[in-house]
Amino acid sequence: MAARKYYAGIDLGSTMTKAAIADEEGNIIVKVAGPTGAEHRRLANLVMLQAFKEAGLTLNDIGYVVATGYGRVNVPFADCQITELTCHARGVSHLFPAAGTAIDIGGQDAKGLTISSGRLVDFVMNDRCAAGTGRFLEMMATTLGIRLEEMGEISLAAREKVEISNTCTVFAQSEIVALLSQGRPLPDILAGVHDAIASRVVRMVSSLKVRPDVVLTGGVALNRAVVAAITEKLGCPVLVPEEPLFTGANGAALLAPEMARRAASKGEPVRERHLAELRLYEES
Amino acid sequence: MTQGLEKAAAIYADRSRRARELKAEGKKVTGYMCAYPPLEMLTALELVPFRILGDCGQPVSKADACLPSVVCPFVRSSLDLALKGEYEFLDGVVMAHSCDVVEKTAHIWNIYLKPDFFHFIDVPHSTHSAAIAQHRNLLKEFRGVLEKLAGQKMTDGMLKEAIAAHNRQRALVRQLYDLRKASPPPVSGVETLKVMLAMMSLPVDEGSRLLQDIIKEVKERQPKNSCKARLLLWGSILDSADLIEMVENLNADLVMDDVCTGSRFFWPDVEVTDDPLDGLAERYLVDLKCPRTYRQQHDDYAASLESRFGYLRGYAESWQVDGAIMQSMRYCDIHGYEVPAVRDYFGSIGLPSLYIEYGYSRSGMAQLKTRVQAFLETLDGR
Repeated sequence: MAARKYYAGIDLGSTMTKAAIADEEGNIIVKVAGPTGAEHRRLANLVMLQAFKEAGLTLNDIGYVVATGYGRVNVPFADCQITELTCHARGVSHLFPAAGTAIDIGGQDAKGLTISSGRLVDFVMNDRCAAGTGRFLEMMATTLGIRLEEMGEISLAAREKVEISNTCTVFAQSEIVALLSQGRPLPDILAGVHDAIASRVVRMVSSLKVRPDVVLTGGVALNRAVVAAITEKLGCPVLVPEEPLFTGANGAALLAPEMARRAASKGEPVRERHLAELRLYEES
Repeated sequence: MTQGLEKAAAIYADRSRRARELKAEGKKVTGYMCAYPPLEMLTALELVPFRILGDCGQPVSKADACLPSVVCPFVRSSLDLALKGEYEFLDGVVMAHSCDVVEKTAHIWNIYLKPDFFHFIDVPHSTHSAAIAQHRNLLKEFRGVLEKLAGQKMTDGMLKEAIAAHNRQRALVRQLYDLRKASPPPVSGVETLKVMLAMMSLPVDEGSRLLQDIIKEVKERQPKNSCKARLLLWGSILDSADLIEMVENLNADLVMDDVCTGSRFFWPDVEVTDDPLDGLAERYLVDLKCPRTYRQQHDDYAASLESRFGYLRGYAESWQVDGAIMQSMRYCDIHGYEVPAVRDYFGSIGLPSLYIEYGYSRSGMAQLKTRVQAFLETLDGR
């Protein structure tokens, strides 16, 4: 058997699937992302395969695989599942050892984490609702007829931010249609949209004791205007990793050696793994 | 022979079967809601008490016509089942002013379902002496109403006998809970809740006999060692084992609870006083620890917390729990408002806690599972 000197993490988010591979020294050597989208869900193994390809490795080189994200229970080649909260905390601490608070805004949820000595100690998550998540931004981009990626840049040109009074995604959409018909400029509307999401997230995170350093991760952290709005509302600097999408997958890969040691100490055998398609339900 | 736990699980799965049998035998079955109607009075006149519950597995289809959708989903579901005819076997219904939603629902129930017998106990909401005296008056009135219904006098002797029977059951429940102090616990949280819900579906002595069998069965068990986290569950009513099952499937044992279908309902005995109404009034108003009742606050917050929740420290220590889950039914104001204080209390005794809002549906369970799993991961890192 080949020496299993590498560790893998796979983070199945609602929108994107992310994979990361770490070496024995705890360096992330490869990161790959692909859409989770409805028809891609069963193909998350391809994201993992792509990561192996880029690293020049095979599944046999991997000592332990940790799955995380909302689809974590559906990864047949994973050795264990850890929640995205614990994985994000680990991933964030790896990049920012002094991090005290992390805010992750993903496609369908938002969470706040309190981190102490690199570990998750407390957390808060949004309710079953798209408000304050990436989905909210996606819907607003569609309504305004622009691409998600350009939202941040456009809104930085705002002169007078509009007030979006509804954080409910559906109501906010009709509010925006009304603002457009009043002739309000696009950057002003976008600034209002970003302000709405930032308010919602900051309100949620405030139920934790927010301690610096504050780190923002998740796909929404790519939007500069949201970062600026959150910074303003929190009244302290907000750090954003270069690749904010990968903290969960990185954390999963970095937690894998510890999980492998624990499994070994319990005498659990290393089981054979296959890069099978993941299944979200039992197919007959 | 079917074992006791299996029998209790079967009753949990088909709660009204036994009550229907008893009715066919000519017994009168009286439905009650929440923990406040004094069951001893029903038992004294051989009116079989049967706890009214909802069914989170059934979508609400009829109750929305007479109750707003943004109220306690447990109460909505209970009324819905009644409107669908599932409580037709009840000979009468007793409700109490446990919270405002139950109070409104009680009268809606009476108007729409027109039970042959209906009584509402307007339980006071505080615990000072005038409130206790008032509660005693209400119980005296209830006694008269029941005597008229049964066509029979309820003597002090009969009432004291019924109090003794219910106290015997309470002692057995505490005995079962005591067995869970062992590590690992020989009986799971899911099994325990099913037993408690079965007790609320049977006449008291029949339930106690079943409990005796169950205690014997549990004592004989030899659970394998495990290193699962031991948890305490505080909060709103749980009328299904779904939530506890989700938690216990996550490498945790729910070893103790403060929930009104669990220890909260059974824990305090009724003191047998010269006038039995005195003991009943005191127990149901003062000793029953539901946040629906206002309790005198001290000027000092820490002292307030200690006097209101000191019993939770006792639970945490005796059952050696690693953490607590606070659970509030969605839209349950009385538990929702209590959460920050309970959280502060747990914090003050160094017990990590997690708050979750229970939406009373199976579909919301995946999100709760992520929260509970993450909480367990934080406990694991300690």
